[in-house]
Amino acid sequence: MKNNQENYPSFIKRVASVWYRHFRVYVRDFISNAMPPFVEPMIFLGGIGLGLGTYILDMNGQSYSQFLAKGLLVTSAMFTASFECTYGTYIRMEYDNIYDGMLAAPIRVFDLLFGEILWAGTKGMFFSTAVLSVFVSFGVISLESCLIAPIIGFFTGIMFSVLSLLFTSFVNNINYFNFYFTGIVSPMFFFSGIVFPTTNLPSFLQPIIEFLPLTHSIRLIRRVSSGEINNLLLLDVLYILAFCIIVGYLAIKRLNKRLID
Amino acid sequence: MTDKIVIDVKNIYKTFGSFRAVNDFSFSVNEASCFGFLGPNGAGKTTLMKMLYGKAICDKNKNTSINVFGYNPLENELPIKYLSGIVPQQNNLDEELNVLQNLFIFSKFYGIKKTEAQKRIESLIDFMELTPKKDSKIKHLSGGMQRRLVIARSLLNNPKLLILDEPTTGLDPQVRHLIWNKLRQLKKQGVTILLTTHYMEEAFQLCDQIIIMHNGEKVISGSPQALLKKDIESYVLEIFYNNQLQDEKTIDTSKVRLEKIEEKRLLYSNDINALQEISEKLQVGDYYLRQSNLEDLFLKTTGRGLNEK
Repeated sequence: MKNNQENYPSFIKRVASVWYRHFRVYVRDFISNAMPPFVEPMIFLGGIGLGLGTYILDMNGQSYSQFLAKGLLVTSAMFTASFECTYGTYIRMEYDNIYDGMLAAPIRVFDLLFGEILWAGTKGMFFSTAVLSVFVSFGVISLESCLIAPIIGFFTGIMFSVLSLLFTSFVNNINYFNFYFTGIVSPMFFFSGIVFPTTNLPSFLQPIIEFLPLTHSIRLIRRVSSGEINNLLLLDVLYILAFCIIVGYLAIKRLNKRLID
Repeated sequence: MTDKIVIDVKNIYKTFGSFRAVNDFSFSVNEASCFGFLGPNGAGKTTLMKMLYGKAICDKNKNTSINVFGYNPLENELPIKYLSGIVPQQNNLDEELNVLQNLFIFSKFYGIKKTEAQKRIESLIDFMELTPKKDSKIKHLSGGMQRRLVIARSLLNNPKLLILDEPTTGLDPQVRHLIWNKLRQLKKQGVTILLTTHYMEEAFQLCDQIIIMHNGEKVISGSPQALLKKDIESYVLEIFYNNQLQDEKTIDTSKVRLEKIEEKRLLYSNDINALQEISEKLQVGDYYLRQSNLEDLFLKTTGRGLNEK
């Protein structure tokens, strides 16, 4: 059979094949994998709507359920991308040697990680969309106001995948991911404007809050859904793009060193 | 067999920190031949293989040149990986997928069209005798089956070059012989094979050329048959305990070479009669008179000490 070695797949095909590998593995256990983003918002609705929400009647002109629901649109993307690219990546790299196998095929480290990041973005998008569909069907938020959620979910997924990959590049013991989740992800959940508006926090904390990636995702969702669209939002978009590129570059560079002897 | 050189490596070096894993190593491989690397653990065999397809990057050195089927892995590893099948030392199958899915995902990595992929996968699992296991989880395969699957995976893109890092380590004799037969068939079809192994028998069965390496350097090279003829005596008399050989000093050292390893004595000679004469004074079961083999040569050239400190 003729076999022309110049015919190796293009960059897009290589990345797509890596993405497809993750997709294939994910949908294999689709019911169990897809349950959390649908069920968790329902649990939240019960807890907040019947419980906590009865104490907080008004939150910036909306019910507390509504306020928190918008936050959960992006945190669901944050959590899924973070797990995928910390524990998931680490296990693929160190325990299952999946990457070693893939790197024996015509795939470079860059292709491999680019596919990985895109996959985490896709999962972020899927999780945000799932959460959105639950809140919309229970009438908590309106579909028209939050149509941007899947896109924000995608970019939130990308941001947390590159951040997680960068953290993973330093890790040589799987337990160290506790530092990541307790030290980075949990504080972000509470201090990025998800559970309360960050304007309530002392002014010396404001620059730090602006530094956190989740702040910008949630601000975009809140402003767009309430129709407060202005040019300042471009700064959030710019932050997100810059974060993806810079942190992504560093993560790939460091992991390349780890994967190539 | 053609004499066209398809892999040409000159003056390659690799250092990990202060450890020199490969030191000024050169070799070239003819098309459709089988080339074997032998050497103790840590000799640099795996690193050498990895440098050919970009999994390891060699040290920068102006004398270094690597040519694999016309490509330099430092510039573009993709064409090399596209035309090669790689079987790493450690199985790295995707445990989240079953046998068929593993092969199917890999066919995507090579950009093979679906209908073509299905055809090749079917014939490969048949070739590697895995058809009854095609829907099994990787976890449920034995070590030998996993190895055969990794080899099947490496053959998906009809490679011109096979890189096999200890393909049969830890496998039972049946599987080893099966794999050897398959590899011989592939060589006949024109596939060039690079192989590392600890089994001298394997090198002897498959390889046209071997290099014995030690501490990242070439010790000797040539065809297994020629090396046996040239570099080691034809026969060995192994005597298990030295007290059985009382007249050690009377041995005619012009005919027989004596090696002492703790209590054991090894007598090497091209003259079987000289060894037979000595063995006649010993009890049956205390000695073993045999033809020398690659293992003797291996131990002679790389020493008997353990190499991993």
